[in-house]
Amino acid sequence: MSLTEPEAELLRNIPEELRPVLEAGRDPDDPVRERLFPRAYLDPTEDLAEQEWQELVHPELIRERLKALERLAETLSRATTRKGRVEIEIDADEAQAWLGALNDARLALGTRLGVTEDLDQAELPSDHPDAAAYAVYGWLTWVQGDLVETLLG
Amino acid sequence: MSPRRGPARASTAPVEVEPEVEPLETVGEPEEEEVVGTDRPWLVIVWNDPVNLMSYVVFVFQKLFGYSRKKATRLMMQVHQEGKAAVSDGTREKAEADVARLHAHGLWATMEHPS
Repeated sequence: MSLTEPEAELLRNIPEELRPVLEAGRDPDDPVRERLFPRAYLDPTEDLAEQEWQELVHPELIRERLKALERLAETLSRATTRKGRVEIEIDADEAQAWLGALNDARLALGTRLGVTEDLDQAELPSDHPDAAAYAVYGWLTWVQGDLVETLLG
Repeated sequence: MSPRRGPARASTAPVEVEPEVEPLETVGEPEEEEVVGTDRPWLVIVWNDPVNLMSYVVFVFQKLFGYSRKKATRLMMQVHQEGKAAVSDGTREKAEADVARLHAHGLWATMEHPS
């Protein structure tokens, strides 16, 4: 993978920005943490089963996702710079970790921005307060799409 | 840091119930639901969301359930066009495990009885 320095910096920032969000776990009053940790049961009469399931599953869900973030940070830290480009070799296993971390970052950012399915960045004026965040989201989407294509073969 | 707002810890403790001394009067036949209730299968539902990429959803269905590219794509299209699709089924335990694995991959999944 070949990145510009600002692109690499953007990826380097993901772990530290996402870590506290994941560590805090589910919060139904916070749309981002509700999206990252949805309920399993919609039926309110299953509230007890839901609670037991969350207590059983969420610590592991958090651990796994934090591990993916660490993996992303590790691979980025061994990148080399050549002719102004940041070059990183990642294997299939690392690509899976990247995919998880990038998807969590997109879920968090996309939920905060309230993105819709037919999001058209071009419609957003460049002086819009969220313009930069939308650009980041769009770029992360592109990187993730690229990784999926590679893994699907 | 945001405060933890999990469910009250005390409520997870087993609840002691006073044993019934008086025999309960049974009225009529037991309801049908009681008989079949424990064995009713569960469906795992994946819901459409604006963030997850179509290709990524196909990738996750193939990875988690071992589905062919064709089947995974068909299910993804159903989620995309109809808003949701049942992607697996089974006992409560299996459905809970499948939902957890889907959540681990960022998909929005829930479980319910077939209607």
